[in-house]
Parts: sequence; C-alpha cells; structure tokens
Amino acid sequence: MFIINCPYCGERDQTEFSCGGEAHIERPKQPTELSDDQWAEYLFMRKNIKGIQFERWNHIHGCRKWFNVIRDTSNDKIHAVYKMGEKPPIKSL
Amino acid sequence: MLSFNSPINEEKKYNDLNIIEVEPIIKINLRSNKREFSTKIGKILSILPPNEANTSSGNEKFNLLWLSPDEWLIYSNDKEMSLDDQTNLEDKLFNEISKLNQGAVTNVSDHWVMINLNGNKVYDLLSKSCPYNFNDFKNKKGSVAQTIVNHINVILHHKQENNLNLFVRRSFSEDLWLWINDSARFI
Amino acid sequence: MSNNLRINKNNFIDQTVRISFKFNGKKLFGYKGDTLASALLANNIHLVGRSFKYHRPRGIMTCGSEEPNAIVQIGNDPSLTDPNVRATEIELFEGLEAFSQNCWPSVNFDVGGINNFLSPLLPAGFYYKTFMWPASFWEKYEFFIRHSAGLGKSPTKPDQDLYDHQYAHFDVLVIGGGISGILSAKLSAEKGLNTMLVDDKNYLGGSTIYQDDNNFKINNENSNQWIKKQIEDLKKLPNLTIKNRTSVAAFHGYNYLLARENLNDHLSSYERKGNIRQRLWKIRAKKVVIATGAIERPLIFSNNDRPGIILSSSIKKYIDYYGVKTGENISLFTNNDSAYETAISLNKSGVKVKVIIDIRENSNSILSKQVERSGIKILKGYTVIDTDGYKKIKSFDVMKLSKDGGSVVGNKITYKCDCLGISGGWTPMVHLFTQSGGKLKFRNNDNVFIPDENKTPSKQISVGSSNGDFELDDVINNTVKNIKIFLGLDKNDLENLNIKCSKEKQKRNIWLLPSNKPISKTKPFLDFQNDSTAKDVKLALREGFKSIEHVKRYTTTGMGTDQGKLSNMHALGIIADTTGTNMGDLGTTTFRPPYTPLTFGAIVGRNVGKFFDHTRKTAIHDWHVKNKAQFENVGQWKRPWYFPKNGETMHQAVQRESKAARESAGILDASTLGKIDIQGEDASEFLNRVYTNAWSKLAIGKCRYGLMLNEDGMVYDDGVTTRLAENHYIMTTTTGGAANVLSKLEDYLQTEWPELNVYLTTVTDQYSTMSICGPNSKKIIKKIIPSLDLSDESFPHMSFKNSKINNVNCRIMRISFTGEHSYEINVQSNYAKDVWERCIEAGKEFNITPYGTETMHLLRAEKGFIITGQDTDGTLTPSDLQMDWIIGKMKYDFIGKRSLYRSDTIREDRKQLVGLLTDDPKEVLEEGAQLVESLDKPIEMLGHVTSSYFSPNLNKSIALAVVRSGKKLKGKKLIVPMENKNINVTITDTVFYDKENKRLNA
Repeated sequence: MFIINCPYCGERDQTEFSCGGEAHIERPKQPTELSDDQWAEYLFMRKNIKGIQFERWNHIHGCRKWFNVIRDTSNDKIHAVYKMGEKPPIKSL
Repeated sequence: MLSFNSPINEEKKYNDLNIIEVEPIIKINLRSNKREFSTKIGKILSILPPNEANTSSGNEKFNLLWLSPDEWLIYSNDKEMSLDDQTNLEDKLFNEISKLNQGAVTNVSDHWVMINLNGNKVYDLLSKSCPYNFNDFKNKKGSVAQTIVNHINVILHHKQENNLNLFVRRSFSEDLWLWINDSARFI
Repeated sequence: MSNNLRINKNNFIDQTVRISFKFNGKKLFGYKGDTLASALLANNIHLVGRSFKYHRPRGIMTCGSEEPNAIVQIGNDPSLTDPNVRATEIELFEGLEAFSQNCWPSVNFDVGGINNFLSPLLPAGFYYKTFMWPASFWEKYEFFIRHSAGLGKSPTKPDQDLYDHQYAHFDVLVIGGGISGILSAKLSAEKGLNTMLVDDKNYLGGSTIYQDDNNFKINNENSNQWIKKQIEDLKKLPNLTIKNRTSVAAFHGYNYLLARENLNDHLSSYERKGNIRQRLWKIRAKKVVIATGAIERPLIFSNNDRPGIILSSSIKKYIDYYGVKTGENISLFTNNDSAYETAISLNKSGVKVKVIIDIRENSNSILSKQVERSGIKILKGYTVIDTDGYKKIKSFDVMKLSKDGGSVVGNKITYKCDCLGISGGWTPMVHLFTQSGGKLKFRNNDNVFIPDENKTPSKQISVGSSNGDFELDDVINNTVKNIKIFLGLDKNDLENLNIKCSKEKQKRNIWLLPSNKPISKTKPFLDFQNDSTAKDVKLALREGFKSIEHVKRYTTTGMGTDQGKLSNMHALGIIADTTGTNMGDLGTTTFRPPYTPLTFGAIVGRNVGKFFDHTRKTAIHDWHVKNKAQFENVGQWKRPWYFPKNGETMHQAVQRESKAARESAGILDASTLGKIDIQGEDASEFLNRVYTNAWSKLAIGKCRYGLMLNEDGMVYDDGVTTRLAENHYIMTTTTGGAANVLSKLEDYLQTEWPELNVYLTTVTDQYSTMSICGPNSKKIIKKIIPSLDLSDESFPHMSFKNSKINNVNCRIMRISFTGEHSYEINVQSNYAKDVWERCIEAGKEFNITPYGTETMHLLRAEKGFIITGQDTDGTLTPSDLQMDWIIGKMKYDFIGKRSLYRSDTIREDRKQLVGLLTDDPKEVLEEGAQLVESLDKPIEMLGHVTSSYFSPNLNKSIALAVVRSGKKLKGKKLIVPMENKNINVTITDTVFYDKENKRLNA
C-alpha cells in the first residue's frame, strides 16, 4: 500500500485511488483514417515495464481527478506526480 | 404534504461519542471552471467558494466545501428551511450558473445523508476503517476530507473540535450507520 | 502436583496467584506471569510434541516466537480452538487447555514414531521422488499422505471471537521494547515526536530487565535496575503510545506496517466475553526504528533435538524471569560467552552446572574465569558428538576437536544430564528489514547477516541486536549514536553513559560439528519443525540443487510455521561450506510476511457476517420487506427478486407478476439504475461521442435509448438519456455499471476531451425511480397527478415532463423496458416511499402488482431487449447483438467506432445474439447451457444460452443465446445437450412478443 501525493488533495493512501494503466497514450484524433494495425497499436499495445513506468491514476474516492504518476514498478517508488496535460517533470531515470 | 423518510432517523450515545443523523438538510453540488462563477456564488450565498484544497468556507446559514478544483458542496445549517425555500435557492443557482453556461448546479439533498459525530473518540472511531491521516485535520476547523470509511465513500467536514459532519450516499447510509455503531462498541 | 522445579525468589512471577490449566488432559498448576512453556517446565514436562516427518519426541527448546517444537492446540471447542500456538508465547490463564499436535494416540506413545526407524528411507525429496509414478496412483497416495500430515486441527465451526482493525499514523514507530527500543522510543518522544512503541511480550525491557548481575552495569547500577527506571520515565511521556502483546507481522513499502495486538488471549474465557480478541493495527509511520533483537542459534550435532536440549539463553530466562529450573543436572555447550551468563544465573539460583563444553580453544573472558572459580568444569576445544535418551536427554558424548575443527580426536567421554543448554551465537532478527525491501550484508568475523544501511528502502533504521550489536555497551552506544542522527536530535543525557560489560565478544563458528561417525549415521537436525537434517541439505547439493531457494523447497528447511527462524543460518552455512562459497555471496532465502502467523480473524477484522459486504438499499426497501419480497443481490444492492403471495413458489409468483404487468398494471422499484446529471454547453456533443447513435437532434423533453461501447467496439453499457433542457441531460446506466460508467466518462472528459465544457454529477441516490407499466398505467398516473396532460400528443412514448406531487418536484418519463405502455416517476429519495405507496393505493382498483427483477427480466426477454452483463459479456459488438440500427454510421467518431470494422469484428462467423424456441414448449433451458449442431464426437460448441424463461404471456419457453454465425441460422435446429437428456431447439428472431410494438401506445 503506497502513499500517492494527489496533485489536488495531497498525500493519501493508495486505497483511495485506482490505476488507469500506461500514461501518454493519446486517443487518435481521427481514428477512421487509421489502418487496422495502427488502431490496434493504440488499442492493445502496452509496454508493461519492470522499472520506471509512466501511469495514469484516478483519485476515485477523493477529488475524482485523473493525473499522471511516474512509478518504479520494481519497488513501487513514486518519482513524480503531475497533472493531466502537463509535461513529465522527469524525462527518464 | 408528502411524508419525509430519511434513512436512519436515529441518535446513539456512547462513552465520549454521540452520533446522530441530521436531516432534512439541503445540499447542492456545484461544478465550474469559469472565472465569474466565484463572484456569482458570492452574490447569491454571501460566501466565496474556497480555492484551497481540503478546506471550507461558511457563514451561519451555509457551508461551502471544497471537493475538487472545479467542484464544491453547499449544505445548510438549517434543518427547518422550507421545501419552497430550498427549491427557490436551487432554481436561483441553476438559473444564474447552469443556464448561463457558468457551470453545473445539482440538487443532491437526498443523495447524501448527513451524520454528525461528536465526542473525544471521533477520530479513534473513524480510524478503525479509514486510512486517512487525521493528525492535521483534527486541529483545523473547517477542514474537509473525501475518503473512505469501511470502503464506503464519505465526505468529512470538521465543524468544531471533535465534532464533524459525515456525508454518505443514501443507499450506503444504513450499512455505514450499523458499521459506525459496531465500531463504537470497541473504542 | 509436582512443582519442585520452581524456585522461590523475587522474580516476575506472582506466586500468590495460582492458575490451573490442563495439558493433554492432565490438570496442572502454574502462576500468574507464566507462559504455558514455563508452567510446563516447572511441572517437569519437556516432551510436548512430535516432529512432523519422523514423529520424534520433541521438547520446549526456546522461550519465544522462534520456538519450533512446542506448538500446541489451544482449547477443544470446535469454534474457538486454535492450532499451531507456540507454548512459549501463550500466557497462562485460568482454565487453559492445551494439547500436543501431530501425534496419535498420544505424545508419549505415537504410532507415527515408526517413521523415525524408517528415516533412512525418508530422505529429502522422498515424497517428490516416490509419488511421481504411476500418475494414476496419486489419488491413493494422497489419501495416506493427507492422513499422516498436518499440524493441528482447524476449527470446524464459525469463529465466535471478535477481531477489529485500527489505522494509526505516527511520526516514529519503534518495534521492540528491549533496551535499544526503550532508548529509541525515549529519545523520539522526548524530542516531541508522536511515537508508538510495540513489543510482543507483556512487559518491556527485553532480556535486560532480568539481567541482575554486576558484570553488566550502567552508571554503576545493575543493568536491570537502570532499565526499570528508564521504563518508568518512558511511561510518563505524553506523546508516546505503548502497545504490549503487539507483534509486527509485516513491514510493507512506504512504512506501512501491520501489527497484531493480542487483547484477550491471556484472559480466561469468562473475562473475554464480548470483547475484541485481537486488533490488527495498520500503521503508517514517517520513520521506523527496528529494535527486534536477536535470537540465539542452536548448535548442529547428532541427535541435537532431544527434549531437554534447550537454548542456553532460554534456560537463563526460565530461571531468572520465571524462576523455573529446566533441569536438576544441567550442562552447557557453547561456542561463545553467552552460556557463561547462563551458568552464573543458574549458580546464583543454586542449580548445579556439571560441565561447560566450549568449542573455543582458549577463552579467558572475565565471565569464564568467574565460572571456573565457582567450581564448574570447562572443557575447552571440545564438542558434543551425540546424545542419548528417548523422551528426554539422559546423557551426551564429548570428544576433543581437531585443530581445524573438521574432525574429532581422542577418547569419547559420556556425561549424564537431564538438560543440555546450547549456544551457537546470535542471529539478528532482520525479517522486518528485509520484508520492507532492505538488503543484507554479511559480516565475516562473526558470521551474521546485518542490515546494509546503504540498501535501506525507506526512512527506517535497525538498532541494537537486530543491527548486529550483541553486547550491552555496543547496543547502548550505537543505538544512541545512530538514533541521534536518524531523528536529528541534539545532545542528550543518554550519551556518555558509563557501561560495564564483562562479556568476551569472540566466538568460534563451526556450522556442522564433526562426529566420530560418518554423517550418514548421524542425525544433526537443522529444522526441528520440518525434520530436515544437515544430511538432507548435503544430499540436495549432491543431487544438483544449487540455489538456496531450491534447496529450501527440496528439503523443506525453513518452511514450517516458525519459518526457519532457528535453522536458516545453519543451512546456509552448510551450503557455503560444502560448495566452497562465501556466505555473503550465497545470500539468504526471502523472508516473507507474516513474521509470526496471523489468525484469519485478525486479517478480516469485523468484515464478517453482516459486514462481509456492503448492503445498498433503495428508499423503498422497507416497503418491500413488509410486503414479503424475496431479495436478489445485484452488485451490492438488495433488489426485490419477486413478491410471493400465499406460499407461492418463485415460478408461480413470477408467472403471476408477468401476466399482471401485461394485462393490467405492474410496478417496479428501478431506483438502483445509475443516474448521471449532465450539464454544460457541450453536453450534446459529449453524448454524440460516448453513445453509438446520434444525439444532436434530440428535442428538449425527449428521451432516447443509447448504447455505449468500449474502444474495442464491444458493448459496455446501455440506458435511456433524457434531454431536460438545452444543455441539461440525465443519463441512466445499468445498476452494476453505474460507478464504472461515471468513472470512464470522467476519464474521457479530463484526459481526451478537455476542450468540452461538460460537468457530470452522480445523482443515483438523489432520485428514486418507480416504473409503472401495463394498459392501466396511464389511469394510475392520472390519479396521482391529475394536472398532468397524459395524452399521446402531449406526452408520447420516449418523452418526459417535469411535475409536482404536492409540493415535491418530480420527473416523469414515458419509457418502457417491458414493451407495455409505461411511465417512470423519479422523485427525491426521501419522499419516494410515500409516492410509491400512493401508486400502490391508486392502482388497487387495477390490481397493480409489484414485481421484482425476475419478472422484469422475463418481460424484457419477451421483447428481445438485452441486459448488458447477462446477454453480453464484453465480447459482443452492437452488430453481434443484431442492433446495427443503433450505430450512427454518419457520425464521424464515437467511442469504439473504429473497432467496428476491424478485420476481427466484421467476421461473419462471430457469435451473435439469436432467439431460441424449444421443440417442446414446456421445456425451459438452463442459462449457460451449450448449443451444438450434432452429437458426433468431437462435439463442436457453437454458443450458449444467455437468458431463458417460461413466458406466461406466450405460454411457452423462450430463450436468448449467442451462436456462431447466428444471424444466418434463423430456422436452424440445434441441440442443447444436458446431463440426462438432449433438448431440441430452433433458432428464431430475438423478439417473441408484440413484434409491431403496438402495446407501447395501448
């Protein structure tokens, strides 16, 4: 059970949040122009990294806001949190 | 008149702890990310919606709770407010804000049930099933926290020292009420 | 009563309070302050159990949580009995009943003891090797293995005890109330930090509290006197919470720890009534101090497991703390100075120590000299090679060690004894440190793994013996020094204490002591609970196991309930010696939570019985209860399933309700449907994007059915959305999907479409919904709201009106899930019960019939309406459901649109929704039953039944199913094979009743 520093509410227990998987996968603006392969890339392909991962979290039992988390999946250390639409404060580690 | 049936309608007293359902209380949910919204609310309620997270503003009539950067909850301190007055307030807010595309105004009076918890053991009681760290909350009047108690979503509003209002969704309220009373046996 | 091993001295036992208890049926006495183990020893009972594999007699070996042998069953009440309790940890209470485990018919005569003589036939991996073949025999083997295996008996009835949970947030958590924990807690709390101190014992002070000896002094006081004062001071600190009988079970990331507090395990059943038995603390600490101490290691030699062979430090605690002699004729065997402390304590209490065998060649410490002066014989450079005695040790054999310690030389000497104390040095308790993710480093000079301060994952520190400081001076000096840095403290009065510690710190480490016999003829036990020996470890290595994790599992070393607290180091040492590896390179096996076993009760807390899951109730629930509804769980909601009258069966009630709803009037509590209030200038555009059909042109006051997909094109949820005003909609979702739909829509608004000005607010609980359907529904609504214009022109199907009942606002929708003319009243929940009762009253003359979910499902199935989650399972597109009409092909985009023409979703042989009619109209299919074309093997599965009912309105059985290429198969005959018959069915249209939708306006 980690503690997540919600960018809106502050530090809260993990049980207040839900994880929305990998971050920065933008929904294509014009899906109809994509080939099956391109659409499948968006729809199904995820990195599932052991190590530093950029992920989306939702403070579902709090302010209901979505935001991004940079987390090391091997030890759960959270390196940064930042709001939707913001650039990651750390490029890579 | 239609008869009013709140879900709990009960008061319980334990050592160092009183719990009571306080209804009927008008509650209105506000959403907005527009600039003029704050001014409009100020005009109607004579209170400005707080911008700071986990806080509230209020006067003798109303409380205005921060829920998110674009969401607030109004609730009244007055159990005696007439249904017509409630409707008028809701309509006024709706017409000034929602109709003018300044945000959203939604009546949630019966969505939330308000339970007042009061006594020295309030935080021990909640901490049986709430992961929230009350260390700062309990010393700061007006604090607001949205969290979970026994996995049920709640809004907590610090009214006085060791005295808070808890909001729970109506359908969960009886379940949570039983849980709180069960917890109270063991503090 | 034989209490002759109790000495009368001023110790920690209250000899004025006598406690009676039973062990294996025999009535015995002990005193307040005893553990079960100390009371048994005082009664001269050593033999308490049989070992797991060989059923060898085993005795109490330690005095703490590391105990491998004295594992007992407490109580025999089928709902309260507790297996696998360590006798060394359970505090004696009046009426305690304990039983030996793993023996039959009794601990003194155990049939399984024959395994001991068969032991050459039961080497490591015996079970794996033997029962592998022939595979078909496994079931027979299993029967015998299950009967001979197992420690203790599970309770057979529900647990009557109460357990609860408590979250706590502290600045500093100190784990362990020994001297280093006491000093850490004191420094922390004095600094003003909110501190918690936990200890698994019922007292504070660890082993220092009974160290009353002038070899160990602090500021010129005996260390026990000094620590007592520290504890008194400690208890006065206001911001310190002390929890005794509290054992930390798990140390997770982010300094999240679980600790179990025993609140009444030490009380008689009379005193326990109605109170919490155990409390699970869920602790968040900004900083954690691990002061869990160390446990003494045994020594590994042949037959080192006999009852009466006890850790030397435990013998000391039994005499100093409990006032119990563990024998009348005690000898000690050691590789370090600790055994001399024991000898001094025994001597002081008048117990004669015959001989001390010290494997060190030349130890001239202050302690050993003092012992020698008192007339106790010391054999230096000797080792014990074997022991004798079956149910208790009678004698042991000693030989001189060779210079390199690899073999024995000279003649064998035999000593008689009734108790042998052994000391192999100390092992820091690093379990919690490693659980938290910390890495260990190996200290070569005394062969211990200690926390690597550079590989510590969170804000924590290990101090005292758990950090590898075993002697009083090091413990105090290093604890104070390190805590000062850790907590950022100023100068304090615990620095520069005057400490006297007379102990020699050198030990001589030999993991497996040599014998005069070949190893194959010896039984040097490593893991006492799982009966694995040094031989087994060596065998595993010979057979090619290299990783310690593999050796552990193959030999089961360290896999008992004690998790190898005593044995792990020796197993590692022997592996390192045998393979010529450095122990530091070998590493340790992983320590996993819990540190000591947790009861299931403590884990679940109060979430049992009525609190097992949440119960959500509608505002009309009480009426349903009063009117004898049978309830169905829908998610967490309690929904009326059907309303049986006069002893009706479910089938009879549902048939009656269904007919009534079509013939006159029915009423359904539909309050559980999810309701989302949508406001904002882009609300219409938003709906266009989330539903498959078009929304821009929906007029104000109109309702529309919408289907929501996932991006993969599969149906996700459905419901009716109503346009209340220009930029104001109310969306309904399925009952089960409500929370997920809201969350998903918020996700799109916040992340993909931030340009849209739309606000979503859940109002599921704000409004209660009652659906009144049937040809007389209009008349009923008219009676309740006479002012409402209900004409088809003013209020047609799929439209809505605001209204009032008395002065309460309500929304009336004319929508239908049954195919009948019907209305939905939405009203603020706190008035809903009254409105519902008015509907019932107004409908009396029309025989208005309340119906539940079962009738609702039947009625909609007659109309071929789907229920998402029942007829769909996340693998069906709208086209698969024969709902192509709802796809807005002209729309540029909506969630899931692109997926609707992926190569996979346009396949014609996908499973598709169809109707089914049975050849025998009375035959009702089972939901979930498979559909096949022929019974020739191999049988191909074509699909399955998703909904099935007997329709009273059609007087025949109807069903919906998904079938491969189903759309093309109308009229085709299929078979539903059941256990005892095959049912013939025909594929039909999905709409069974009123195909022309005439009844909507009836």
